[in-house]
Amino acid sequence: MMSQHLTDSVGVVRANVEADVPPRTLKQRLRSLAPYAYISPFYIIFFIFGAFPILFTFWIALHDWNPLGEPEFTGTKNFVNLMTDPRFWNATKNTFSIWFISTIPQLLLALGLATLLNHQLLKLKTGFRMIVLSPQITSVLAVGIIFSQLFGRDFGLINTALVEPFGFERIDFQVGTLSSHIAVSTMVMWRWVGYNSLIYLAAMQAIPKSLYECAAIDGANKFRQLVHVTIPQLRSTIIFTVIVSTIGGMQIFAEPLVFSGIGGAQGGNKRQFQTLTMFLYEQGFERFKFGYASAIAWALFLMIVLFALLNYFVTQRISQDEN
Amino acid sequence: MVSSAKGTGHCDDGCLIAVGDPYREHVISTKVLQALAEMDDHNYYLTQRSARSDIRLKGKKFMNKITRLLALLAALMLIVAACGSGASDEDASDDGEAASPDVDGAEEAEEPAEETTTTQVKTGGDAESDTTLQIWTFGATGLEPLMDEWAAENGVSIEIKTSDFAAHHEGLLTALVASEVPDIAVIEVGFSSLFKTSPDQFIDLRDYGAGDLESNYVDWRWEHGVSSDGSVIGLPTDVGGLALAYRWDKFEAAGLPTDRDEVAGLWTSWEDFLDVGEKYVADTGEPFIDDIGVLYSTLGAQGGERYFGDDGSLIYDSSDKVKADFDLAAEAGVRGISANLAGFSGEWNAAMAEGGYAVQLAPSWMMGYIQSNAPDTSGLWDITTLPESGGNWGGSQLAIPAAAPNPELAYDLISTILSPENQLKVFIENGNFPSTVDSYSDDALLSFENPFFNDAPVGQIYADAVLNLDPVFEGVEERAIAEAFGNALDRVEVGELSPEEGFQAALDEIQLELDR
Repeated sequence: MMSQHLTDSVGVVRANVEADVPPRTLKQRLRSLAPYAYISPFYIIFFIFGAFPILFTFWIALHDWNPLGEPEFTGTKNFVNLMTDPRFWNATKNTFSIWFISTIPQLLLALGLATLLNHQLLKLKTGFRMIVLSPQITSVLAVGIIFSQLFGRDFGLINTALVEPFGFERIDFQVGTLSSHIAVSTMVMWRWVGYNSLIYLAAMQAIPKSLYECAAIDGANKFRQLVHVTIPQLRSTIIFTVIVSTIGGMQIFAEPLVFSGIGGAQGGNKRQFQTLTMFLYEQGFERFKFGYASAIAWALFLMIVLFALLNYFVTQRISQDEN
Repeated sequence: MVSSAKGTGHCDDGCLIAVGDPYREHVISTKVLQALAEMDDHNYYLTQRSARSDIRLKGKKFMNKITRLLALLAALMLIVAACGSGASDEDASDDGEAASPDVDGAEEAEEPAEETTTTQVKTGGDAESDTTLQIWTFGATGLEPLMDEWAAENGVSIEIKTSDFAAHHEGLLTALVASEVPDIAVIEVGFSSLFKTSPDQFIDLRDYGAGDLESNYVDWRWEHGVSSDGSVIGLPTDVGGLALAYRWDKFEAAGLPTDRDEVAGLWTSWEDFLDVGEKYVADTGEPFIDDIGVLYSTLGAQGGERYFGDDGSLIYDSSDKVKADFDLAAEAGVRGISANLAGFSGEWNAAMAEGGYAVQLAPSWMMGYIQSNAPDTSGLWDITTLPESGGNWGGSQLAIPAAAPNPELAYDLISTILSPENQLKVFIENGNFPSTVDSYSDDALLSFENPFFNDAPVGQIYADAVLNLDPVFEGVEERAIAEAFGNALDRVEVGELSPEEGFQAALDEIQLELDR
């Protein structure tokens, strides 16, 4: 009874408004569209540089296309071929191996470095922070060239200074699978340790001092403070850095390409350090198979989406735990 | 107080367990502090704190100064670094231009690792001119001075963009698709089949009268520029005639003959060559040749059918020649006569300059490469003939893309600089052997002796090599196939695979590539 009455009165009011107000002018109509116009730049740019290339790549992947000729529709052939191509799985394996070898030590090192930078007795704090970040502003190609020389077989400094004096044979870093992965991972590590340290440092400074004081009172030494206070407090930051380095690691390209030198995008004479992006580049721009390269691009895209979803669920879980 | 605070009196046993839970930690530690303040001797605690903060304040002022200084220093360093790197970039690209090889074949057919990123743009001719001809090259054709000369005479400005061997061709293909093309592009013979499949992307040079020039050039080099529909997409530059460069001083030290005719007499077959190499290695402990990949490319370039039949069909897996070449190169690897350097890599360049090996298989353009890469070895090299026969490795065409802005001028340039007289000039200056027939009987060529190579009569040697060769057809899939065999040889060379396994690995790899 009561609810019936309310609905009625609302209906009456609405009717009155519609009767009194004249039809909207063009200006008013445009004005109501204005909010959409304000937010449109993002959508327009996203469509041109995000959605359209992704869809167009998929369309190309359904064709055989030498860029000088006409595309020829082949349906799912490229995807079927890809799934049975040992070179694709090899590149996937290499990508993950290099990601693993570079990320784990890199994050541990970054954590250690951040702890040192955060030390209260450290002088020249800003100076040190600038120094650890400097690899980040170095050109990745310069890094690749210098490190390739350091890892050189005949004239490389690493062999001369770290391998030979200890009575080992000079290592040909390019030839071995593991040794080449280590060499490439070193470049990635060198470039990204400082960046991750600063992120950890920022997060560490947000940890209340009182926690450390309490831990100190409980007799925890510096190491135990790190393990029991710092790391648990940094949990979400650590997850963030893992995600960022995963997405970066999936797309690793310049370092192994430069390391490969004259071998080009094949990544060694048995593809021992060919990553997914290198395989994509090889097929697309050295062999001119645009269709097949697009299929590789889509496989990579799906893998990254998978990781993004995994990331989403993990962070969801963590924030639930924290609440 | 200190001792009691360090004990677990206030926290009991709950504190360490609570760590990790921010809220509880905070509550507990606040309680601890309150308790401390309430204690009788809390003054001690406070004095300690204020004393510390005094020191901190002074320290802070000092640190601020240091920070400012450091920031200034860093800014200065960045400026210096920017200038420094700019300068070294220029150096690198200068080297790149000088060292760019004119090659194809196995995976070593590219430039040194250091130059993988080098793209260099140079302008020349009449800078005031409104018309600028864009020229894309991978260097090493030795034609740049002639281009400058032509530009100056015709009052046109030119812009020469030099990229790496592979990057140049790959970039050109993408540019053709996008119609963002230069006026003139260099196409090496290993890539010519690929570009010839799209004659509509290039200007048919017959429209400008190129048909009259055909008789000037060696017939099979002319064919490299003729597409299936008969249109002429490029004029031939040089011929990569094959010979062999050796360090006579190293031969002398090893007790081998040094005279070029006697050296040639050491080997009538490649088997002899390997025997001499093995003896050299045993006597001196030094490598004989640079790389078995370069040896393999040379063997393949000696003529006959290689990966393709005359009709363009694929015969790489059934050709006796491919198998024999592979086995011979693999044997050289197994017998340990090679320095195991990747041809055209930075380490290869260094070894060439340092005398890391005694024999360099040398297409004619390699003379220019050695001269610019190893200038200190002048006079220590000599040149003689190859075992078994001559051959061709390399050479290019100059083509004009269909969308070129200035095709008339471009044609005038290429037809001028590729004339017999000009090709002879390039040979004398840079070592690239002419592709013009008349040059082979020209006295200026036949009597030319190169002082860098111990006055070897290189004109005569390379003319003989070119006149006696049987050209190899290079098809569309040339590079994929050559790279697979080159990679397999590398693996044999380091002892990872036996020659048999290596050959099979290459066949599998090629099959995989061709199937997709």
